[in-house]
Amino acid sequence: MKKALILLGCPEVPSQTPMAIYASYKLSKLGYDVSIAANPAATKLVTVSDPENYYVKNLIDLDNCLNDVGEGDFDLLVGFVHKDAAASFFVTFYHILQTKSLALVFEKDPELLKEYVDIVEENTDAEIVAVRAFHNPTPIRVRFDKALERL
Amino acid sequence: MSFCLETYLQQSDDYKFLANQAGFKDCAMIIRFKSDEIINVKPGQEVLGVRLIGIPPIPIGIKDDGKRVLIPYTKPCHGTSVIELPIDEEEIEKIRKLA
Repeated sequence: MKKALILLGCPEVPSQTPMAIYASYKLSKLGYDVSIAANPAATKLVTVSDPENYYVKNLIDLDNCLNDVGEGDFDLLVGFVHKDAAASFFVTFYHILQTKSLALVFEKDPELLKEYVDIVEENTDAEIVAVRAFHNPTPIRVRFDKALERL
Repeated sequence: MSFCLETYLQQSDDYKFLANQAGFKDCAMIIRFKSDEIINVKPGQEVLGVRLIGIPPIPIGIKDDGKRVLIPYTKPCHGTSVIELPIDEEEIEKIRKLA
């Protein structure tokens, strides 16, 4: 079974948690064994949102994942890039895993959005989905679905 | 026993933050500006017991005749910091081998 890793950033962006659960659902439907790596704050939001692990089967600590993961461990990396630190984490996991990757870049400020896209574009060969978004996950979801069709 | 940065930061007060909650590029510039020597490493390489997060090349700064090191340290909710702390020659050699 193919394995996918969804990499979450800081959870203060409202659309991250619903999109994480949606991405886990969609990738599972496509036959992936999905893991979500998140820090404790983001983990709590996912856990409360999916209390019976219906959509999220495997939630792992970001620091442990970073320490343990290596090249070839996953067939797909999906990263949420909505902060400078999230861009750094995505680029780092991309370089460690050396696998097919998709960056979901979203921000309400167009200048910051471009900055994060540039970071990902200049330092990876990842597919990039970029959209102005903050509260509303729909623009991200629509573009994520299209990106999955291309993958 | 090998050095572990996270344990060191919890158990020692001999370190300082030269930048806090900043962007990675700004932190990399501070490290390059304030160090006598730079060793560039790749994202995910282990330095001082932690896998480094960042945009390649990640600069590690050496200053004060090899007695202190400047490294970037990134957390999802807190951005990137630059930490300056003491280092011994053995750890510097380990970093040089990564370059």
